[in-house]
Amino acid sequence: MTAGVTARTYMIVGAEPEWWYRDLVSCLQATFGTVLARAGVDPLSVLGAGWRFLHLPGDVRSEEFYYPCPADESGQIDLGSALAPHHQLHSRWWQPADENDVWREVRETLADNRLVIAAVDNFHLPFRPAYGDVHAAHLVVVYGLDETRGVVYVSDAMPPAFRGAVPIEEFLRSWGSANPSDVQDAFFSDSQIGRRCLDVRLDAPPAPLTPELLGSYLRTDVEAFTTATSTRTGLAGFDAFAAELVERCRAGDADALRELYPFGWGMQAQASLHGELLRRCGRQWNDPALAGAGRAVEAVAHAWTGLRFTGAHGLEDPRAAAADIAHHATVLRGKYARAVDAVGTTAARL
Amino acid sequence: MTGIAMSSVKAGLCDPVDISGHRNNTAISAATETKAGAFNVWGNSFAAEYLPAGGSLVHVDGVPFEFPPVCDGPDNIRAAGQFIGVTPGRYDWIHVLAASERRCEDTIELSFADGSVDAEPLRISDFWAAPAWFGEVKAFESLVMHYPHHVQRGVPAMMWAQRVPVTRRAELTGILMPRNVALHVFAVTLQRHGQLA
Repeated sequence: MTAGVTARTYMIVGAEPEWWYRDLVSCLQATFGTVLARAGVDPLSVLGAGWRFLHLPGDVRSEEFYYPCPADESGQIDLGSALAPHHQLHSRWWQPADENDVWREVRETLADNRLVIAAVDNFHLPFRPAYGDVHAAHLVVVYGLDETRGVVYVSDAMPPAFRGAVPIEEFLRSWGSANPSDVQDAFFSDSQIGRRCLDVRLDAPPAPLTPELLGSYLRTDVEAFTTATSTRTGLAGFDAFAAELVERCRAGDADALRELYPFGWGMQAQASLHGELLRRCGRQWNDPALAGAGRAVEAVAHAWTGLRFTGAHGLEDPRAAAADIAHHATVLRGKYARAVDAVGTTAARL
Repeated sequence: MTGIAMSSVKAGLCDPVDISGHRNNTAISAATETKAGAFNVWGNSFAAEYLPAGGSLVHVDGVPFEFPPVCDGPDNIRAAGQFIGVTPGRYDWIHVLAASERRCEDTIELSFADGSVDAEPLRISDFWAAPAWFGEVKAFESLVMHYPHHVQRGVPAMMWAQRVPVTRRAELTGILMPRNVALHVFAVTLQRHGQLA
């Protein structure tokens, strides 16, 4: 049991949660990274181990933490397995079962000495730059609840990083926000928060990362990139996504660009983490070609910038943006091809 | 030769480029008018009080730059395919003060008097509380971020000094910017071909 100072105080045991952050990740990777770090696991070695492309038409939601992830047979969305396909990282969304006691599950989780990842609306959180200004769906880590003092303990690695107490009433407004449509944020507003939370579990400690193990990850991912499937996966999936994106822009469909920003963030973040991990391993193992393959994957992440932000700035006139969208999609496709080739060549000898 | 002397020699080889005709974005704002700047899609901007005076000559890592106007109209080039003509000459480096809306790599095209054109990478790190991912020198840091309706502490805005090589031994005549709304260039300085020691 945790340190329950009173029956109404719940706090994780030990140190406060660690911030984990990279400049291209969103709150999704940052919060999962915090959970992994608390489990004593290097977040980069898990969150950067896999690299995929997946686009699910019609699935994109206007949330900073959107990530493409098909539901399983039971309808569950397991973001953990999507973020870390080579590890036993799993997650499930949950909401309070009892409207009259919305903290029950949070208490239970904290009492079990585990962190809670909670969806929030930045508009209601005093430490967020958007406080009182802009509605936007975000994730934070909850590591304590003190109902006697009326505060929730929250950790957020995204700048300006914050760790500390938030009045319960303000947290409740944020956690239960309708997150209404906000003209100042076309990408992360208009998505009900609904007191959603993520329960994240690492079911098995990661095996030590060796060249052989990493090689098996890379071969699996390269095969996924180069094998056409019925869904939009791999290079063929990217081609289908890009062709549709350009076509929708030419037709003046602003929703195509509204979806591009959150969708692209997930793909960009994953490429940046994967590239960084490969570079790190290349340096540690004295394998320049592996490091170079990592740099090629990072170039994919960097090319996503041009596409995502051309879309973001082109939102008001998709037709006018179509030519530049097509250009950046072409550039990005080239970076994917180059990176898949480099990773595949390296994987073959690991 | 000492570091200072070396730096002085380098500065002597450098010619700031007049880019005033190409500025098309305002990324710096006053604390009293934060809405006047919009570096990124969210309307964030650099805080003027942390930056040099507009039009001043600043030195970053030994390279002189003409700092753009501050709170006096557009202050940077948002990359949209502009062609920046330069005084024809043999140059080794193109130095820029720049920042990006998220980490970014793109290509600039260098035009030469003999008709040749070379593409070279322009790699610029994020301006929003980010590290120098591409090994740039931190030129200036606004310790607060301007939002349209407030001044935000704890989120710095970064301006980087980056450089691009001119590998061709020919007379450079101009630089074609990419079409990339994420990339912003505040100043350009050319370093002439020459021996430092």
